Parts: sequence; C-alpha cells; structure tokens
Amino acid sequence: MDFALIHNLGIGFGVALSLQNLMYCFFGVLLGTLIGVLPGIGPVATIAMLLPVTFNLSPISALIMLAGIYYGAQYGGSTTAILVNLPGESSSVITCLDGYQMARQGRAGPALAIAAMGSFFAGCVATVVIALFAPPLAEVALKFGPAEYFSLMVLGLVGATVLAHGSLVKAIAMTILGLLMGLVGTDVNSGIARFSFGLSELSDGIGFVIVAMGVFGFAEIIANLEQGEARDVFVNKVTGLMPTWKDLKSSSGAILRGTALGSMLGILPGGGALLSSFAAYTLEKKIGDTSMFGKGEIRGVAAPESANNAGAQTSFIPLLTLGIPSNPVMALMIGAMMIQGIAPGPQVMTERPELFWGMITSMWIGNLMLVILNLPLIGMWVKLLTVPYRLLYPSILLFCCVGVYSLSNQPFDVMLTAVYGLLGYIFVKLECEPAPLILGFILGPLMEENLRRAMLLSRGDATVFVTKPISGVLLGIAVVLLLITLAPAVQKTREEAFVE
Amino acid sequence: MQIKNGKDFWAGLMFLGFGLAFVAVAQNYPMGSAVRMGPAYFPTVLGGMLVVLGGMVFFRAFVSKFAHPLKVFTFRPLLFVASLVVGGATYFYFADSQLKDAPTLQMLQFTLVGLALFLFIGAFGPRSMFLILLAVVIFGYALKPLGLVLATVILIVVSAVGGHDFRKKEIVILTIVLVIFGVFVFVKGLGLPFNLWPGE
Repeated sequence: MDFALIHNLGIGFGVALSLQNLMYCFFGVLLGTLIGVLPGIGPVATIAMLLPVTFNLSPISALIMLAGIYYGAQYGGSTTAILVNLPGESSSVITCLDGYQMARQGRAGPALAIAAMGSFFAGCVATVVIALFAPPLAEVALKFGPAEYFSLMVLGLVGATVLAHGSLVKAIAMTILGLLMGLVGTDVNSGIARFSFGLSELSDGIGFVIVAMGVFGFAEIIANLEQGEARDVFVNKVTGLMPTWKDLKSSSGAILRGTALGSMLGILPGGGALLSSFAAYTLEKKIGDTSMFGKGEIRGVAAPESANNAGAQTSFIPLLTLGIPSNPVMALMIGAMMIQGIAPGPQVMTERPELFWGMITSMWIGNLMLVILNLPLIGMWVKLLTVPYRLLYPSILLFCCVGVYSLSNQPFDVMLTAVYGLLGYIFVKLECEPAPLILGFILGPLMEENLRRAMLLSRGDATVFVTKPISGVLLGIAVVLLLITLAPAVQKTREEAFVE
Repeated sequence: MQIKNGKDFWAGLMFLGFGLAFVAVAQNYPMGSAVRMGPAYFPTVLGGMLVVLGGMVFFRAFVSKFAHPLKVFTFRPLLFVASLVVGGATYFYFADSQLKDAPTLQMLQFTLVGLALFLFIGAFGPRSMFLILLAVVIFGYALKPLGLVLATVILIVVSAVGGHDFRKKEIVILTIVLVIFGVFVFVKGLGLPFNLWPGE
C-alpha cells in the first residue's frame, strides 16, 4: 500500500471529521435524500438553489455539502422508484422496472435494503477509486497546454453528445447552441459585450444557474403538470427490511458488477449516475437466469442502484483532476468552486490538498450517514411521498425564484430564468436533450479562450491540435467515439435502448 | 414533399433560426484572423455549424422513419406575431431616446417590454406553463417594491391556479406556511437582503 495515500487520507479525515464539516455533510446528504425521494426536483436545481448560500461558508464545507446532495439523491431516488413506480431521480428510472414489482409482491423492504446496501458498497469502492486514480491523472493534466485543453473539451463534448438520448445530430446541435449561449457577454480579449443587445444585465454573460434552473427546474415542473398526477403509493406495505439469504446471495454479484461498471462509466465525459444505471441493468439482463427480469428480480434493483451511486461519485474525477465538468451537476460544482475563488484544475490537489482529500473522505462518511438515514428512517421518507404534487410545486418554485434572485439581486435574472423555462419546455417537446446544451454552455468561454491561445502560440497553424501527442490522442478518441456511434449496428441498438 | 416528423421539422427550424441569428449579430464585431481571433470569429464558426446541423435536422423531417404529427405543442401564431411586433417596435422606438431623465417613458418602455414577453410566453404551450412563468416573472419584479411576504403570496397563488386541481383551503394554508418559512429561513436564517413589506 502506498504510504502517501494513507498520509493523504489522514489529512482528509482530519478535515472531514471536524464537527462543522460533519454537520454540513449531514445536511447535504439529508437534503439529497429529501430531493431524491421527491419526484420533480433533482440535484441540479437544488444545488443551483443553494449556491448563493455557500457564499458564507468555507470552501471545503460548501463542497462537502453540495457533493452530499448529489450522491444523497441517488439513495433517495430508489425509494420513490420502488414504492411509487416513479423515478425520484432520473438515474432511478430503471430501478422502477423490478423494484416496483417487488413492492407489489410485498417485498418492498428487501428491495429498499438491497438498494441501500448496494449503494453503500458502491460508494465505498468509488471513494477508493477516486483516491487511487485522481492523483496520477492530475499529474498528467499539469502538463496540459491550451491545445490539449481544447482537445480535451472537444472530447468531453463529444462524449456528452454520444451518451445523450435520442438523435445524435440534435445532441450535437444542442451542444453548439450551448457553446454559443455561453459566449454571450463581454469578450475577455477585446472588451466588446457580445450578443447583449445593449442590455447591461447581459454584459457579464448569462449565469449558469439561470440556464440550469430554467431548463431543468422550471421545465420539469411544467412537464410534470402537463402529465397530471397518478400515484399509487405502497406506503403501508413496508414490512421487514431484511432480505433473505437467497436475496443476498443472488444480488451480491450484481452489486459487484454494477459497482465496477458504474465506477468506470462515471469517469467518462458525459457520464455519471444516469448512464451507469442504464448500462448496469442492461448488463445484468445478459447474465445468468433472466426469466425474472421485469417481474421483481432483485438483481434488477441491486445492479443499477450500485452503479448509479458509483457513477455519481467517480464523475468527480474529471472535475477534480482536469477542472472539466462531465455532467451538469459537476458544472455547478465548478460554479461553487469559482464562487469561493478556487480555479478548478489539476493544481487544486497540490495547492489545496486539504480541500481535495477532505472532500473524498467526506464522501465515505456521507455514505455511512446515508445508510443510517435511509434504512431505519425509511418510514419518514415514505410519509413524504404522500405530499401531493399540487402542494409541492409552488414550494419548489419559491425556492428556485429566491435562489435565482439572490445570485445578484436582479429581477432581470428571474425573468431570464422564466425564458429559459420556456426554452426548456420546447426542448423537451422537440426531443432535444438539454444536458449537452448545459455542458456546452459551461465550456463555451473556456473553449474559445484555449482555442485562441493555442492558435496564437502556433502562429495560426491549426495542425497543432493533431501533431501534439496528447492533444492528437484526445481528438482521435473523440473521432472514434463519433464513428462508433454512427456505425449502423450501434445506431440500431441505440434506438432500441432508448425505446425501452 | 410531406413532413413526416413534426418534431424534427420544428427542431430544425429552431436550430436554423438560432444559428442564423448568432452569425448575423456576430458580424457587428471584428472578425480578426486565425492567428488573432476577433470576438466574431468563434461565434461565426459555431453559428455556421449550427446552421448546417439545423438544415440536416430540418431535411430529416421529410425522410424520417419516425412519424410525429406537426402539432408538437400548442402554438398560437397570433400571440407570437403580436409579441414580435410589440417587442420590435419598443426596441426601435426607444433605441436612441434618452430615458434617464424621463421616468414616464421608462415606465412605458418597461410595460411594453413586459407585455411583449408575456405575449411571447403565451404563444407556446399549455395554460399551466403560462401561469407558472407569469408567477415567476411577477415575483422577480415585485420582490423589491412589494416585499417578500406579498411577492410570495402572488407566486404561490398564481402558480397554484396553473395546476389542475386548485383547492382554496389548501393553498391558503400552504401560502401561510411558506411565507413564515421564507421570513424565518431566507431573511432571518440565511440573512438574504430582502425587505418583508412594501417601502421598507
């Protein structure tokens, strides 16, 4: 065992175990479970809402709390999926299939228990994965110049589009639209306020929170209201949490496979909890006895629930080592770091080790808290589910509005969020995935800056992106990814996979 | 030619529109060269790519194997045109005038822009969306002049009307609970700088 690792983990536990940070960690996972359980509000909107609050916290407390919300939501989401057949979180969609069937057969307790145990195991493994893999990656990243960064961002965006639902062309178009929207505001090099239509409110650019809250928060509420309310809660049927010996035996393999797959897919650009859970379920359906899938197979709960938690946590790796967000939640984490005056990137690990390792160890502690929160207290969360949506959504709206307004105390921001809500609704209706748009939005200015610098350094020679080894490899991977997706066989399975 | 996939048709038009708009507006800024890129360079390239992709999606609408009706969501062309007319007229009429010294003109402009916005939002989608976004915008602009308490009441009541199932008693209780919560958590607890009542 590497001695430096133990030393670093020591630093981390020293930070994460302080009373204040334990408190914020607890608050984060509690809130995460809460919004995970409640359908109609996800981690993106919640973290966006809480960003202004983190102004007054220390950087490490802020990050610990926000991270807790994300992986906490993965625990909470399964509860709703199993008991109500509604995904509390988008990454729990797949858990509904078998989880709800188990609940109907009166086995909600074991399903919930296995989901929590699988998540906990996955969380522990993912924490170790981050601790092992992040430092060497950060070392590589320190050698990156503008050309490499540009290519890396191209790869990230390609990854996000390839993994998006539905049409590839639309996903690429959404990415580019996001990049363009990210360019609104004052250009750093020339000082010209671009696309601002003379509005002073736009000269600083459009806030990320505004786009995220509008496209994810408001648009989701509108879509939910349009669908109407149909719930069938198995509230009183949760009896006996303990899974049988047979359950444990058959799900242990699924948990292992889900964790491994989730840990890998979380690292990918564009990856994270959602993709991991889908992939794990698909894999599980190809192994062993598949006759029970869709009819209450416990492996169908264990695998995706382990995978989504593992994926949620390992998606912190690109953020912490490269400073590049792999999904919208990570983009918000970057926002939170910038509020605190920390430039995300490989230097964070060397310059602020207490921040990096404190956050990683807090994840393990947070997972421990989550098991305790979710298993014995399950009754409390179930009660929450009986709150009807007609009371829930006005409350969510209030939180969103207050969150947006307090960013800079401008009514204009709230108005702009409403406009993005409208856009988000149109995107949903036209089957245009918003996730690539958000990623493009974040990366737009960064990409332009690195492109300009790289071209200046190479005196206008665009071939640097290919001739520099690291940059060339990154672009090569991006091209291969695109080609694979365009291959007819993959196109066909993509269509089938998303129809399911 | 027949439009087979309504979703692709509208999405293609949307991307084309955005792409063209970004390219057009970008031409107001210096282009620069590949070595020293001006502020127009990157947006023009991206906008061009968006136009091409939008064109592809638009074209695909005619040959797609997925069938979707052309009516994807409610669209009210009359309101849409009206919003463009009001918005455009306001933009051009007030473009050069000095508004700083004329509060009445400022008020007028503000009202017209607001009207254009609501017409625009009202042109799309279901009634619930219009009411919810209306509630949000009013909240944003009412928070300072009216204070947190009244702004919250407006937000909750208007957005609740947007739901299917409006129950008076419930909404009254919910409003009271949220006002109390807002005052204690946002203002007292988190120290957000909101005034509670008008004119404070």
